Amino acid sequence: MPTTTVTQPRSRTSTRTRVLGGLAVVAGGLLGSGVRATIATALPMAPGEFPVTTLLINLAGALLLGVFLARHRRLNGSRWSLRFWAMGALGSFTTFSAFSVEVFQLLDAGSPVVAAWYVGFSTIGGVIAALWGDSWGSRAR
Amino acid sequence: MTVLLLAVSGCLGAGARYVVSSLVQRRSRSWVPMGTTVVNLLGAFLLGCVLGVGTSSPFWTGAAGMLGGFTTFSTWMVEVGGLGAGTQPPWKAILHLVVPMVLGVIAAALGYYLTS
Repeated sequence: MPTTTVTQPRSRTSTRTRVLGGLAVVAGGLLGSGVRATIATALPMAPGEFPVTTLLINLAGALLLGVFLARHRRLNGSRWSLRFWAMGALGSFTTFSAFSVEVFQLLDAGSPVVAAWYVGFSTIGGVIAALWGDSWGSRAR
Repeated sequence: MTVLLLAVSGCLGAGARYVVSSLVQRRSRSWVPMGTTVVNLLGAFLLGCVLGVGTSSPFWTGAAGMLGGFTTFSTWMVEVGGLGAGTQPPWKAILHLVVPMVLGVIAAALGYYLTS
């Protein structure tokens, strides 16, 4: 799995391409945030309890991004699909800010053990999901 | 209604992430994916600030939606996986996993105590 990911250094991109790229990210972001909001509304969490909704969303997003980037590489996908799906939809489907705040809330509520489980499941599970998705998406087909 | 507010604010956050992470990444010479890291830590700090203000208002919903879209967990995980599975030494992957994780919680706590 090469280290190239979603943000790539671009040297000679025109302003127009950047603006259109941004719009593709925003459109994908609407989809990703909309799906996350729908799931979060269906499975609401109380502060201080194990944040299972965020965990499931983040693990699913890491898996799907792994699959997508591997397929994109294999099939030589366009930069537009990268902007829409990887940076927009799957980027905003998952969330780092809620993860960090939830860990802080668990620690603040005096549940360091729950916080540690949450961090462990999220990060180790997330890396495994991303790598698993990558090997899955890299298969010939 | 809440879903719509979250979706629209989230897509604005995604657009802001595109701008900020591209600007940071283009200036970075480091092996660390600085674009994603900066965006995530900034987003965690800001969500901590908003949490300190209070979670009862619609402002919380909009801000949480926007910062949820601004930050990304999936990109971070793929970057860690990429560093771990590539030709890079494994400590780089471990460092890029542990450092943003710890700093994210510190940033959120800092934001919270700053505004509460």
